[in-house]
Amino acid sequence: MARLVEHQGKRLLAKAGIAVPKSAVAKSPDEAAAAAAKLGYPVALKAQVPSGGRGKAGGILFAADEAELRANAAQLFGRKFHNYAVAELLVEEKLDIRGELYVAVISDPTRRAPAILFSQSGGVEVEGALESGGFVSETVDILRGVPPHVGVNLVRKTGIPSRLMAPLGRVIASLYKVYRDNDCTLAEINPLAITSKGVVALDARIEVDDDSVFRHPELGIQRSLEVGDRLPTALERIAARIDEKDHRGSTHFIQVDPDGAVAKAQGKISIGFDGVGTGVSLAAMDELVPLGFFPRNFCDTSGNPTGSKLYRITRVILAQEDIEGYVFISCLSSQQLDNTARGLIKAFKEIYPDGEPNFPCVFCFRGAWDDDALAMMAEHGVTKSRWVRTLGRDATERDVAVAFRDLHAAWRRERARA
Amino acid sequence: MKTFSFEVFSGGTVMFDHDVCARCETKACVVVCNQPNLACVLELKDNLPALRVTPEEAKSGGCIECLACELDCQTKGLGGVTFALPMPELDAHLEASAREGRTPGFRQK
Repeated sequence: MARLVEHQGKRLLAKAGIAVPKSAVAKSPDEAAAAAAKLGYPVALKAQVPSGGRGKAGGILFAADEAELRANAAQLFGRKFHNYAVAELLVEEKLDIRGELYVAVISDPTRRAPAILFSQSGGVEVEGALESGGFVSETVDILRGVPPHVGVNLVRKTGIPSRLMAPLGRVIASLYKVYRDNDCTLAEINPLAITSKGVVALDARIEVDDDSVFRHPELGIQRSLEVGDRLPTALERIAARIDEKDHRGSTHFIQVDPDGAVAKAQGKISIGFDGVGTGVSLAAMDELVPLGFFPRNFCDTSGNPTGSKLYRITRVILAQEDIEGYVFISCLSSQQLDNTARGLIKAFKEIYPDGEPNFPCVFCFRGAWDDDALAMMAEHGVTKSRWVRTLGRDATERDVAVAFRDLHAAWRRERARA
Repeated sequence: MKTFSFEVFSGGTVMFDHDVCARCETKACVVVCNQPNLACVLELKDNLPALRVTPEEAKSGGCIECLACELDCQTKGLGGVTFALPMPELDAHLEASAREGRTPGFRQK
């Protein structure tokens, strides 16, 4: 999920003509104080993290003077919200708020189209309003777009005062433009405040379609799929570049235990891992863990990826620190395993030109061209090492895990002797 | 050295050392590329490997980057094919790690 932080989202809103409060980004209490001096007190201090629930979690504080600002800024910097450390604050003018609304454009899979959502109950309690049906919605015809009258007709259903209808219609039309122009899956303003200066976007939640991030270098998104509530690691960012513009199969790579802390806490051994298919990957990981191994990463190289993708992702997997082995396993599928094997072979031959991996490696090829894959592994000398074991289509996930355990035990014994 | 090269979609270059290719009797790169399940973008011209499609077609996905040309050349030919797939960000990461005294898995003792 490629989610922008608030100030990035607000920049897009402002560009589309939606009013936002005056603000400045600060990376230290001193910068925050300087920004507030320019904006004038009172100000809001808002932690810039790409996660929801920030307001309820205490990520937004206010300051009436410099002393309060410095105290609150010091409190926010370094705090974590959903695993994101606060490195930036948005210092924002505090507005006179008379009401809070909610408006969003979402990609709605049930409608197979974008949809506009609008509620008179904005702010921190909006989830309750949305769950209880306290909102109106409109499916968007993407060929026609969203002219202002669409938004006006939508908000009219809520009984909102007529003087607000035209400005809200314009905000909704502009928000849809942000959604379309930036290939979003979500463009949300919550709250959209009613102030003495008109309607103003107090927050912005913008999520860009992962598959469209490459079209928007101007957004500066450091893309990485599905890493959860934390920033991507260096290797995750590098791996994400492999799929960024090339959709011939996937190389989803996630470090489930980036620093090996989980493995260490559980007394297990970190290993590198690659699976063809998510299901088989999870099944294999489930077999490896009880035997004492903890994959440092999850990786799914499925959908018939090119050999070059396998080469690149294998280099990334093996670059992980403090691993004591590598397991590759495929599911039974139509994926051309000869191409998969070529990527693995090229990576192993380049990384280990003497043909001797520095730790145990197990490869299991099951599916289309699996015999070819196994033959190529032997032909190129990858299997000549005693620390390499290959298995074929009759092997189960359990067999792979056991083969790795046995190989690892032998490797450990030899290391102890040396 | 006479070389022939073309670029591929993911950002890489396939290079043929035609001095080596001229001495190669198998032309394994062309043979394997023309397997029914592969890209079929290579052919022989004047007894040397060449593209049967335009460089633009090869770069836009005509070459499926199976790496077979390079690997079969290593085992059945004379090693004149190089499939270069740069990863500058990984290289920079590894260099930075080394400067910090950290060791990637594949270099661990």
